[in-house]
Amino acid sequence: MLTGDEEAFSTLYRRRQGPIYRFALQMTGNVVIAEDVTQEVFMALLQKTAKYEPSRGSLASFLYGVARNMVLRRLEKTAETEDYRSPEDILDDLTRRETIENVRRAVLSLPAVYRETVVLCDLQDTSYEEAAQALECPIGTVRSRLNRGRSMLASKLRFFSAVRSAV
Amino acid sequence: MNEEDVLRALETLAEADRELEAPPAVEVRLRSAFRKKYQRRAWPYFAALTTALASFLLLIRVPPPPTLEIPPVAAPAAPVLAVTAPAPKVVHRQALQPKEVMTDFYPLMEAPPPFERGELLRVSLPASAMRTVGLPVSEDRLGETVQADVLVGEEGLARAIRFVKYER
Repeated sequence: MLTGDEEAFSTLYRRRQGPIYRFALQMTGNVVIAEDVTQEVFMALLQKTAKYEPSRGSLASFLYGVARNMVLRRLEKTAETEDYRSPEDILDDLTRRETIENVRRAVLSLPAVYRETVVLCDLQDTSYEEAAQALECPIGTVRSRLNRGRSMLASKLRFFSAVRSAV
Repeated sequence: MNEEDVLRALETLAEADRELEAPPAVEVRLRSAFRKKYQRRAWPYFAALTTALASFLLLIRVPPPPTLEIPPVAAPAAPVLAVTAPAPKVVHRQALQPKEVMTDFYPLMEAPPPFERGELLRVSLPASAMRTVGLPVSEDRLGETVQADVLVGEEGLARAIRFVKYER
């Protein structure tokens, strides 16, 4: 790829774009942002504004790290920061929601710091080590955030479930 | 809802999203950016390589001379350029201000692809290269060097050539 082999670049993109796109989508719930982030990640690789160094971790965690920075920047722009939506906000269209959408919304309503950990470890099947590299934090932090994120999800889903039963 | 339920719910979502991918348009845009980046960088090397190759092909395609001497009268259809000996190195070129006289372009490809963009490269070739496009060169000057402009297309193909003579 570094020598200008377009097919090599294309192969790399095809192999890696899916997880990056899904990560961005699960973090933002927005297909347009997910598409933009995916493109920007590989563009950064191409323009060498993001330089991968194998000694610092796997390529997957490097790409997740680049994607994460871009996602967080987007979330800041759209003012969707730690002020996550309350379960009450989600009530309105609860009746037409399927289980998957409930979970998706519950994940999206997590604060970004827990959301990214849940998305990487539970939705993307990333190892704790890779997640720690991507999130630039110790593995212990990944574990604790994951526990906290899951417990927040449990309460949200409990709430959704209760509302559904009541409707 | 306990942790196991949460994990199961997350698994369901992960399963539902497993096939999701970026739209094909993203790859198209990236490939286009890739091509733009690397073609621009590779272009001078590619052109130089092509020119060298074209020169080599011209060299090896020199046909055996039919006669020993070229008649003094030039063919009317093709522009004729006599090969002259290179100017002595000690002469101050600026003072003499030699004038460039060029032949027409001679195609190097029989059916070239459409031409969009290219570059004109000045190269030095043995005079025998002129014979490959039908220009007369006397036997005793076949080994001399002549200047030529090679038109190389954006795709790197040497498309045409013209020869240059300096007159004072």
